[in-house]
Amino acid sequence: MSGMEEEENAAELKIGEEFLKAKCLMNCEVAIILEHKWEQLQHMSDGGADQVSQVFEKSQAYVKRFSRYKNPDAVRQVRETLSRYSLVEFELCTLGNLCPDTADEAKALVPSLVPGGRFDSDDRVDKMLNDLSLIKKFE
Amino acid sequence: MFFHIVLERNMQLHPRHFGPHLRDKLVAKLMKDVEGTCSGRHGFVVAITGVEDIGKGLIREGTGFVTFPVKYQCVVFRPFKGEILEAVVTMVNKMGFFAEAGPVQIFVSNHLIPDDMEFQSGDVPNYTTSDGSVKIQKESEVRLKIIGTRVDATEIFCIGTIKDDFLGVISDPGGAL
Repeated sequence: MSGMEEEENAAELKIGEEFLKAKCLMNCEVAIILEHKWEQLQHMSDGGADQVSQVFEKSQAYVKRFSRYKNPDAVRQVRETLSRYSLVEFELCTLGNLCPDTADEAKALVPSLVPGGRFDSDDRVDKMLNDLSLIKKFE
Repeated sequence: MFFHIVLERNMQLHPRHFGPHLRDKLVAKLMKDVEGTCSGRHGFVVAITGVEDIGKGLIREGTGFVTFPVKYQCVVFRPFKGEILEAVVTMVNKMGFFAEAGPVQIFVSNHLIPDDMEFQSGDVPNYTTSDGSVKIQKESEVRLKIIGTRVDATEIFCIGTIKDDFLGVISDPGGAL
C-alpha cells in the first residue's frame, strides 16, 4: 500500500494509486449495472432476489434517486463528451454526478480542475458544462 | 464514489462440490462471501459483475479443501476525504444531522451547518434559515463534502460539512410532497 491513508484528499486527487487508475462510475452508470444484475437475480431459480445484501439495496436506491441521466444512450454520451476534456476518471464522474451550472461551481466542486493548465480559461469549462446540459435537454 | 475494480480472493471449496458445476459453485460462494462486505481499503462491495480468472486449485493438506485464487470484477463504493456528493438526510437533532449516500452514513455536526441555520425541535426536527427559505429535515437531499472518514472492520463512517460554497440543500421534501 502506498501510504494513502495519511494524505487522502479527493480535492487534490489523492485517492491512492489503485483508485486513481481504476474505472470510476457515475451514479447513472451504476444504476444501469445494478438494474441489470437485479434482473438477472430475479431470473435465478433459487430466489436469488431475496438474498441481495443491504449494501446492494441501499446503493440501488441511492443511484436511482441521484441519477442525472436515465436513458442508457445519454449516459454513454455523457462519458464520451466528458472524455474529450482530458479529465481524470474521478473528475469526470464527479462532474457527471453533480452537473454544475457554472464554471465557478464546477471549479469549487472539483478543485483539481484549476491547477495544471487544462482549463486556462473559464470558456473551456463553460463549453464542457454546456455540452453536458445539451445531452440532458435532448435525453 | 463508485468504482469498477478487479479484486482477488482465495476461495476454499469443499471437495463435495467438485464436478461439472465446480465453477458455478465457486462463483456462487464468492458472491455470498463478498457482496455486501466492507473493508477500509476498498470500501463497500456492492455487486460482483464478472469473474475474470480462476487459478489452479491447491489441495490443503490434512483437510482436503482446495484453495482457488479467483479474480473478479466488482462495483465498490468508496468514500474519500474531500469528495463532494449528494446524500439523503435520515435524522436531524440538535447535534447536527445524519445523511446517507448509498451504504455509507455521514454525520454533519451543527458546527458545520451554516451559522444562519437554526435548529428547530418539534414533530419534524429541522434546521432552518431565519427567513425560513431553506430547511433541512428528514428526507431532504443535500450536497455535502466529506471531511473525515473513520474505518472499522465492517463499516466506514464519514463526517461531512455543508458550510462551503455550492453545498447545502438541493431539494426540500416539503416542497416535493
